[in-house]
Amino acid sequence: MDRRALFFLFAAALVAALIPLTDGEFRFVPIGLAIVYVVLALASYLDHRSR
Amino acid sequence: MELAAVVLVVGIALAFDFVNGFHDAANSIATVVSTRVLSPRLAVAWAAFFNFVAFLVFGTAVAATIASGVVEPGALSIGVIFAGLIGAVAWNLITFYFGLPSSSSHALIGGIAGAAVAKSGFSVLIGDGIRTIGVFIVLSPLVGLALGLILMVGLQWAVAGYPKVDLINRFFRRAQLVSAAAFSLGHGGNDAQKTMGVILAVLIGAGYLPEGSDVPLWVVLSAHIAIGLGTLSGGWRIVKTMGSKITRLQPIGGVAAESAAAATLFFTSFAGIPVSTTHTITGAIVGVGASRRLSAVRWGIAGRVVWAWILTIPGAWIIAGLTYAIIAALS
Repeated sequence: MDRRALFFLFAAALVAALIPLTDGEFRFVPIGLAIVYVVLALASYLDHRSR
Repeated sequence: MELAAVVLVVGIALAFDFVNGFHDAANSIATVVSTRVLSPRLAVAWAAFFNFVAFLVFGTAVAATIASGVVEPGALSIGVIFAGLIGAVAWNLITFYFGLPSSSSHALIGGIAGAAVAKSGFSVLIGDGIRTIGVFIVLSPLVGLALGLILMVGLQWAVAGYPKVDLINRFFRRAQLVSAAAFSLGHGGNDAQKTMGVILAVLIGAGYLPEGSDVPLWVVLSAHIAIGLGTLSGGWRIVKTMGSKITRLQPIGGVAAESAAAATLFFTSFAGIPVSTTHTITGAIVGVGASRRLSAVRWGIAGRVVWAWILTIPGAWIIAGLTYAIIAALS
């Protein structure tokens, strides 16, 4: 299993958990960041599989 | 008597700013020094200059958050701010002694909150302000990490297959001067404003300025001069931790890490969110290392850094609370 993909998924979950706690004005930051980490996890997984 | 107390607290606030520069600005130059782009002496001068000129770029939104967004302004007496600063300075010196890159910003917030709670109880804390700062304690390193990784991968793609490796290295060594300057600018903007916020709170609390006042120009200039002089004095134990122990950096990685951290600091400074420059650059350096593979990051050192983050607010809080209790008992 790709440990880096798991790390990014964990980061995405952590950031997503912060969405309801974030002030409405800045909520786009954790939302965008969670999406970025999911994409990074996917990219890392595909990179790992292709080797 | 009150004027003397105000002058004393303003002096301690500027000393905190100086220690902040001494303690935190090492982050600005760690990558430049570890990749041997600049000598340590030139690197601190470079960072100090951009720390100082940050007042020309950023507003005072972070200062306003510190002055009125953490603790009810009415609870910020001169004694509370004095005790808060003592807590923050003491914590910074303790972590400096142990070579831990903890956050001066969170030490300041923990110190002021701890002293205010010791005086008036938990009801004086402003929930929304504390929550936003708390959320960004976690978000700022993760934003730095993601941006650092994405920039690193993007830059590597951009130069992949280019035959003249020496030329690429030379380009990125020079580009690091720009990225280090941008990071120092962000550091000066975000961190000097915290001191400006403290001084603003003291001046309002003592009745020298009406509530809702802007930060006076002399406060802006003195805060930036103090942080610049602190940077010029340097903090080499922490440079060593940040620059070489988290991951091994090449000039291209230094550019990616500093640019990612600078972008994060620019955003938070304009948004009025006090964040830790230490957290941000650490996250960005880890992101650059993780672009190769997770094992390129020395997680033991990164873990020590995380412990310093966890302990900073409670540590400064307790010292400041005890200091306030002593002041109250003596007076």
